[in-house]
Amino acid sequence: MLPSAGVYYFPWEINSSVPEGEALRTFGRLCCYDLARSKAVLTAQHHSTQYQVSVDTEFVEPFQAQLGSLYMLLGEVEHREGEGPIVKARILTCVEGMNVPLLERAIQEQRKYFNERQEQMGKSTS
Amino acid sequence: MQSESKKYEEEMPSLYWGMDPVFSAFARLYIKDIKEMRESKQVPGIFFYNGHPVRQVDVFGIVVQMKERDAFYNYGVDDSTGVINCVCWKNPMIAETSLSGHPSTPSSVTVLEQMKKLQEMVSQKTKLEIGDVVRVRGHIRTYRQQREIQASCFYKVDDPVCDVQISRMLELPCLYREVYDKPFQGPEEGQSDLEGQNFSINMLHEKVKGFLLENKIQTFYQQELETIDILVPLISHHLLHSFLPIQVKSKIDASSRRIHNVFKEAIKMLQEKGLVFQKPSSSKDLYHVTDHDKELLKVTLDVIKEDCRKPRLKSFLHAWLHFLFSADAEKGCHFLHVLSCVRQSYNPSLAEVVMHRVLELLESNSDVVSTMEGYYMAF
Repeated sequence: MLPSAGVYYFPWEINSSVPEGEALRTFGRLCCYDLARSKAVLTAQHHSTQYQVSVDTEFVEPFQAQLGSLYMLLGEVEHREGEGPIVKARILTCVEGMNVPLLERAIQEQRKYFNERQEQMGKSTS
Repeated sequence: MQSESKKYEEEMPSLYWGMDPVFSAFARLYIKDIKEMRESKQVPGIFFYNGHPVRQVDVFGIVVQMKERDAFYNYGVDDSTGVINCVCWKNPMIAETSLSGHPSTPSSVTVLEQMKKLQEMVSQKTKLEIGDVVRVRGHIRTYRQQREIQASCFYKVDDPVCDVQISRMLELPCLYREVYDKPFQGPEEGQSDLEGQNFSINMLHEKVKGFLLENKIQTFYQQELETIDILVPLISHHLLHSFLPIQVKSKIDASSRRIHNVFKEAIKMLQEKGLVFQKPSSSKDLYHVTDHDKELLKVTLDVIKEDCRKPRLKSFLHAWLHFLFSADAEKGCHFLHVLSCVRQSYNPSLAEVVMHRVLELLESNSDVVSTMEGYYMAF
């Protein structure tokens, strides 16, 4: 069985409304890594607000944590009791040096295209 | 788009698939679309995206699953819209040949070293792990009700800062809008060879028209048109099909003759529409472009002006109309009058369609006004 596609989410879109088990990919700076609990946190800035994404690193260990570096994350969302959403990482890659604004634009372009297509379909079927 | 494909349910006959450039390309589609597009009823293994026949694809994504088999690997590739399994055969060159133990002369040593380097490179590029970025080209097949890509070429892409992934993400929406989402304008169904030729004449006639108007060409010879790069490949593409059985030598001859004929027909069409015309006074191969013939425009305008300068009531009917509308001005100069005057003073064999075109042009420039059907007036 193939896993579901990791859809791009912006770090600030990962909140309690993301469905349980949703496969997603996102990015952020690794700000801390707790080896004992297999937990890491990615951070990202958006409109002068700092957002955090909790990551479960169990599946990607052992991994060389480069604190302060940019990471690309692909995994499934889990909602655990008493905690916010956490992404169980399948892939966690260091992409330090990545052009973040350009990636954000690329994600928006891709969404825009699919939205347009959706609208067109709606028009032609109605 | 696929669910919109009702109008494409009638798929293009396979004979014409080759005319769609998408068919011979590795279509760079989203994995989601590769998994959802409809398979051809005529030829299994060919798929239709938005009416375009797709034979082979080019995907790019992250390896999210890996299964090793004896002779191949199964890689699950995720491009953020979908995940598809890619069957990637192990490289037999690496598996089978051992380079040691060959008798060696100094020159063969360097060759062996080069070979070794090449093999290392190949194995580096084709040994993939989960999380690697990969590019796969191949054709689509269905295995146990699942679509997968039978890779003809695959390699790991070094993309440490995601540049390649980002540029691909930016590129695909444009490619879709420009190519894949635009329906292919193929020939009409049930076309015979003759109709195929008509199709190319039609297309050429449109192209020539655009060329003449855009470049403000005043006069031209047919031979000149045949040397224009943008016009010729257009038809040679269509004609190629019909030449396959003929031998190469006569083929070149025949095809140039055929190209010549297609041009001739296209120019004839332009003449019939009044876009170009010939003058008996000039060479018989010289064509004049109506829109850019300043003399003809001037002569016509002068005829109408002249006519409007001398007010007169031509007949009882005119007088009556004049009375009815209590118009001060004349109702203008009739088309046939203009035509006969222009024929007298400019070109005795001028066609009616050309005259119509000239008058339309003058009218759109507001040089003349059409007062009623067939009557023109100038100030």
